[in-house]
Amino acid sequence: MALNLLHRHVLEDHILGFHGGANPNHLSVVRRPVIFSVLAHAGREGQVREALAKAEDIAIRACGPSEWLAVSQTAGAEHVAAQLSAIPGVSLAEQSDGKVLMAIAGPSVRRILAKCVAVDLHPDVFAEGQSANMMCCHVVANLARTGADTFEIIVPRSFAGSVFEELTEMGREHALTASFLDA
Amino acid sequence: MTSYRLDAGGAINRAQALTFTFDGQSFKGLDGDTVASALLANDQMLMARSFKYHRPRGVVTAGSSEPNALLTIGSGLRAEPNARATVTELYDGLVTTSQNRWPSLKTDIGAVNGLLSPFLGAGFYYKTFMWPASFWEKLYEPLIRRAAGLGKLVLQPDPDRYEKCWAHCDLLVIGAGPAGLMAALVAGRSGARVILADESFTLGGSLLSENVAIGETPASEFAKRTIEELASLPNVTLMPRTTVFGWYDDMVFGAVERVQKHVASPSPDLPMERLWRIVAKRAILASGAEERPLVFGGNDKPGVMTAGAVRSYLNRYGVAVGSRLAIFTNGGSGYRTAADLTARGIKVTAIIDARQQAPDLGPDGVRVIRNGAVVATKGRHRLESLIAERAGFQEVIDCDALAMSGGWSPIVHLMCQRGAKPIWSEEKQAFMAPNVGGAFVAAGGAHGADTIYACLRDGAAKAAAMMGELGFSAYQATLPEVEGEYDPSFAPVWYVPGAKDKAFVDFQNDVHVGDLGIAQREGFRHIEHTKRYTTSGMATDQGKLGNVNTAGIVAGMRGVSPAEIGTTTFRPFYTPVSFGALAGAARGEHAAPVRTSPLHGWAKKNGATFVESGLWYRSAWFAKEGEKTWRDSVDREVLNVRANAGLCDVSTLGKIEIFGAGAAEFLNRVYCNGFLKLPVGKARYGLMLREDGIVFDDGTTSRLSEQHYVMTTTTAYAAEVMAHLEFCAQTFWPELDVRFVFVTDEWAQMSLAGPKARIILSRIVEDDISNVAFSFLAVRTVTLRGGLKARLFRISFSGELAYELAVPAGYGEAVADAIMEAGREEAICAYGVEALNVLRIEKGFVTHNELDGRTTADDVGLGKMMAMQKADFIGKRLSTRFGLTAADRLQLVGLKPVEADKEIKAGAHLLKENAKPSLANDQGFVSSACFSPTLGGFIALAMLKSGRERTGEHIVVWDALRGAEVPAEVCQPVFFDPDNTRLHL
Amino acid sequence: MASLITCPHCGTRPKEEFSIRGAAAPRRPSPAARDEVWHRYVYVRDNPKGRYEEYWHHAAGCRRWLVVDRDNLTHEVFGVTDATDHLTAEAGE
Ligand SMILES: [Zn+2]
Repeated sequence: MALNLLHRHVLEDHILGFHGGANPNHLSVVRRPVIFSVLAHAGREGQVREALAKAEDIAIRACGPSEWLAVSQTAGAEHVAAQLSAIPGVSLAEQSDGKVLMAIAGPSVRRILAKCVAVDLHPDVFAEGQSANMMCCHVVANLARTGADTFEIIVPRSFAGSVFEELTEMGREHALTASFLDA
Repeated sequence: MTSYRLDAGGAINRAQALTFTFDGQSFKGLDGDTVASALLANDQMLMARSFKYHRPRGVVTAGSSEPNALLTIGSGLRAEPNARATVTELYDGLVTTSQNRWPSLKTDIGAVNGLLSPFLGAGFYYKTFMWPASFWEKLYEPLIRRAAGLGKLVLQPDPDRYEKCWAHCDLLVIGAGPAGLMAALVAGRSGARVILADESFTLGGSLLSENVAIGETPASEFAKRTIEELASLPNVTLMPRTTVFGWYDDMVFGAVERVQKHVASPSPDLPMERLWRIVAKRAILASGAEERPLVFGGNDKPGVMTAGAVRSYLNRYGVAVGSRLAIFTNGGSGYRTAADLTARGIKVTAIIDARQQAPDLGPDGVRVIRNGAVVATKGRHRLESLIAERAGFQEVIDCDALAMSGGWSPIVHLMCQRGAKPIWSEEKQAFMAPNVGGAFVAAGGAHGADTIYACLRDGAAKAAAMMGELGFSAYQATLPEVEGEYDPSFAPVWYVPGAKDKAFVDFQNDVHVGDLGIAQREGFRHIEHTKRYTTSGMATDQGKLGNVNTAGIVAGMRGVSPAEIGTTTFRPFYTPVSFGALAGAARGEHAAPVRTSPLHGWAKKNGATFVESGLWYRSAWFAKEGEKTWRDSVDREVLNVRANAGLCDVSTLGKIEIFGAGAAEFLNRVYCNGFLKLPVGKARYGLMLREDGIVFDDGTTSRLSEQHYVMTTTTAYAAEVMAHLEFCAQTFWPELDVRFVFVTDEWAQMSLAGPKARIILSRIVEDDISNVAFSFLAVRTVTLRGGLKARLFRISFSGELAYELAVPAGYGEAVADAIMEAGREEAICAYGVEALNVLRIEKGFVTHNELDGRTTADDVGLGKMMAMQKADFIGKRLSTRFGLTAADRLQLVGLKPVEADKEIKAGAHLLKENAKPSLANDQGFVSSACFSPTLGGFIALAMLKSGRERTGEHIVVWDALRGAEVPAEVCQPVFFDPDNTRLHL
Repeated sequence: MASLITCPHCGTRPKEEFSIRGAAAPRRPSPAARDEVWHRYVYVRDNPKGRYEEYWHHAAGCRRWLVVDRDNLTHEVFGVTDATDHLTAEAGE
C-alpha cells in the first residue's frame, strides 16, 4: 500500500477563500520554501560565513555568530543540503517544515512592522540584505530586509498562526492583504 | 450673558459648527474647540462638582493640568470618565456629562459636605473611621466612595482597538511651542531623524495663545508656517494628539497617541489610541511652563482661572470668559491679560497687584490696586464680585471672572521621573529641571525661559548643540524678531492669609491651606508625609497646579526656603493613560501568542477537547458520541490503548538537535546518567539535575550518528533546557565542540501505543520493525510507504509496546490520518494527554508533578541512574550532601484507597492513622492521582516520608480543602505490569 | 515601558528578548573543591547595589549568553560582551 500523503501548510486555516487581488501592502506566504539551520563548529565561523556567502540559489539569514538559516525558494532540499554540507565545519538541520516564511511588502511596510518589532528598520540602520533574529509579534523570528520596502519574516510553525493574525491585524490600517505566493 | 464667543479671532474654523450635548442639553461649538472652550462660548461656566466638598467648579486652566473640569465624554460603551474638558477635542455629536453630583450639577445634595467641612479637614478619615475595624469595609468605605468620587467606569468590554508601536529617532522634541518648533526645525534642517510630539490637536503651544508678532507675522501664523515646513521634511515626523507620558531606561519614552478620540464614528481599521515606545538618541523637553494659581479665600469659584487660560480662550478660541474681568496678579502676565482683553473690547474692572512696586495704571487706563489682595469671592455658581483688600481696607470689585497669575513653574515632570529631583531657583522663584546628562535637556519655558524670543533661541541652541554631538552639521537658524512681548517678571505670593472661605491649593482633591497647617502641626512635616496626610497632589492631576504652591506655603509656615521643602516624587504617567492603550492588541485570546501542534487539525477532526499547556494547545481527550463526562472518554482511551492501540500527539515535547565532536562528552556532563556509550541508533532515558542536586528535567536522547543526537525535553521545560545547555556549553565548557538547534517545530511526532501498535505501523512503514530488527529503545530513519522519510523511536510512556513516529510537520496530519485508517480494524483510537497521564500513573512514570523542583533522583526511585563513577556532571557534587540523602526524605510511593471507589486527589496531604492534621504530623502529599480503568479503582502517586520502607502501611489521605479524608494503603509506585513485559513484546 | 540592551551580535534590543540569570562572577568549582566552595557557588550571592556583572541570555536573538556590566540601580550599562569571550579575556589576564 503506497500512501498518498498530502502536505499541509499551517496557514491554510488562516488564509481562506479568494482575495480580490493584492493591495499595495501585501503579505505573501511562501508555500514550500527549503530552509536549513546551519551551525558552524568551533573555530570555523569565519570560513563558514564566507562559504555561505557564495552559495548559489540560497539566501543566508543571520541568526547568531555561528548560526544561520539557509533559505531557498528555487532549489530543492537535496540540492541545498548537498551544497551546504560540502562546507567544512558545518552541521545542518532541516527546518523547511518547522519554519514559515512570509514576505511583507509595500509602501507602509515599515509602519506596519513598527507595531511588530522593536528594532529600528530605517534603511541606514537595517540595510537591504541585512537579517537578524528578533522578537516579532511576541515570537522569536528572523527578519530580513530584501528590498527597500520588502521584508521576509521566518517564524516557528507552531506560532505562525498567531504571528500571521497579528501581522494582518496591524496591517488593517494600511489595507494589508495576504495570500499564498502561488495563489 | 457673561462668557461668550467673540465675533472674530482665534485658531478655530468658524465655518464648521459642531453640535454637542452637556448633561443632555444641546450646544453649538466650532471646529478647533475643546469641550471647555465650547462650553464657555455657550456661557456654561459651571462644569463640575469638587471631589470632597461638592463645591461648584469651572475651568481653571486651558490645558492638561486642569484639576476641575473633569467630565464623562462619550456614551454607551465608549463613555470615558474623568476626561479633562480643557484638552478634549470637540466633535460633532459628542455627548458629555458632568460627574459627582446628584440630582444635578446645579442642585447637588452632596454639597452638604461643604457645610460639614469644618470636620472634614486633613486626617479626618484617618481619625474618624479607625474602629471598629469591621465597619471600614462594610460601612465607611462604601459610604465615602459614594459621596466622594469621580466619574463611573463602564463595566463592559471596551469596543475599540488599541495598538502598540515602536519609533526611533535622533531627536525627540516634546512639546511644539516656540522652543519645540525651533528645536525641531534646526534638527530637521540638519538632516536628523526628528519626532515632534505634542499633546494638543493643534501644534504651536503658547504661540496659539499669545498676542505677539514674530518676524512681522502673528505668532499663530509663524507657528503654522513652521509646522508646514516641518511637515515637508521627510526626516521629520509630526505627532499631534500625542502625550509623552514617561521617560524610561535607555532613552525610551512612552507616549500615547489619541488616534480617533476626536472622531464621531471611529474607523474599525484604526486603533482608538496607540501607545508609542520612542527610542531617542537625544531628547528635548519643550513642555513649557505652568502658570501658578494664587491661593486666596474662595479661589475655586467658577470664573476664577489663570491669566494664561483667559488669554488662551481669548486668543486661541475667540472666547471671552467674562464680560467684566478683574485680575489678581503678582507680575506681568496679569497686565498682558488686561491688555489683550481691553483690545478686544472686554471690560477689565481692576488689576489687583500683590506687589509693592506696581504701575499706577494698567493698559487702557485700567485701575491698579497696588499691594492688594483678593480676600473673598462672591457668587454661587459663578463669580459675581470679589472683595479686594489693601492696607486693611476692603472694597467690593464688580466682576464675573477673575484672571489670576502667581508666576510660572517650568514643567519638568518627565525629567524627574528617573530619580532626579527638580532644583529650586531663588532667581526664578521656581523649581527648575535637574541636570540628567546631555542626552535629555529642557529648553524654552521648561528651562525657565520667560519670553517667546528666549524660547525660540533656547530651542534652536539646544538642538544645534545636539546635532553637533550626533555628527550632523547643525543648521544655523536665523532667529526672527519678536515684537510685543511683556515683562515676564513676578514676585511670589504664596497665599493670602486671613480669609474666611477656604483657600484651595489642590483643587481636585479639595485640599486647602488649613489642611497643610494641620499636617505641619500634627507632625506630617516631610513633604511626602504632608502629601499623603492631606492628599495634596494625589489626585489624577498629580498636583500639576498645586504642588509648587504646596511647597511654597509649607516653606512659609516653617520659615524656610522652598528649596528645603523640595517636591514629592515624580513618576510616570504624566497624564492618565487608558488601560486599553497599555494593553494594546494583547486582549482576550490575543493576550499571549498561541502555539498549535502540527496535529492540531487531526485532533480537531477526531473530536479533541484542548487544554492550554503553557502557550501550547494540547488535545486533552477525544469525546465520542454518548460520552457524558471527560472521564468516560479517558477511561475508554486508556482501556483501548492497553487492549488494542492508540495514537497520541506528542509533538509539543521539546526537541533539540545536538552536533559535534564534543557532543557525547557534553551529554555525559549534563545528564546524571552515562551517555558516552550510547550506541548509534539507540535512545536512552536521561535525567538532568540542577547544580544543587535536585532533578531539573527528564527526557530521551537518541544518537542518530556518531556526532549527532536529538534530545527530547518535557513540553514545559523545553526553553529552560535549551537555555541550560547553551549556558553549560558557552560558560562552563567552551572547549567542547558542541552545537544545538531547536527542531521542535520541524517534526510532527505521534506516539502509537498498544499491543497492536506494530501491526498497524507495519502497514505504514516500509522498514522491518520486528522486535528483533527494531527492539526496545531502537531509533532509526525509516521510509514510509510512498517514500516519505521519518524518524522512528521505540520508546514508551504508557508501558505498552509503543513507537514514536516523527514526520516533517506539514505531513503530520496526513500521516496521523493514515495511521488511524491503517489501524481501523485493530480498533485504534486517538488518545489525549489525560489518558496519557493515567497510563503513566499506572506505570509509576514521573512527570513534573513529581519532579517539582524539590525531588532528587533517589526520591523518585531513580537513584540508581546516577553514574557516580563519572568525574563530574551537573549536580553531582551537591547530590551527595546530607540533606539530600537523609533517610526521612519524601520518597515516591503508590497509594490505593482502602475502598477502591474512594477518590484520592492530587495535592492532598498524608497523615498517619489517627494523627491530628498539623505541620509536624505531615507525612507527605499526593503528587498525581487518577481513576485507573485498568485496575478499576482510584490510584495515586505520592511523596511520603521514608516511603519505600512503608509498603503495606495504612495512612490517611487528608484533603481538608475539598473536605475529604480517605484511608489508603501504601504500595509500590508501579500498578501495572511491574516486569515491563509489554514493553518488549 | 522598556529597557534596552545592546547585544554585541544583534544590536540594540528591548529587555523582553533577554532572560537574566544573575551574577556572572562566580565560577563553577572543580568537582574536587571543598564543600564550602561549592556551597558558596550554588547558594551565596553578594547581590550588590550598583555596578556589577550579570549573565543575560539573548533568548529571542542570537541565543548567546552575554555578560552585561550594569548598574542595577540606575540601569546604566557599561558594556556587553559574549560570555565565552568574557571567559577568554579573563583567562588571558
Ligand atoms: Zn544577540
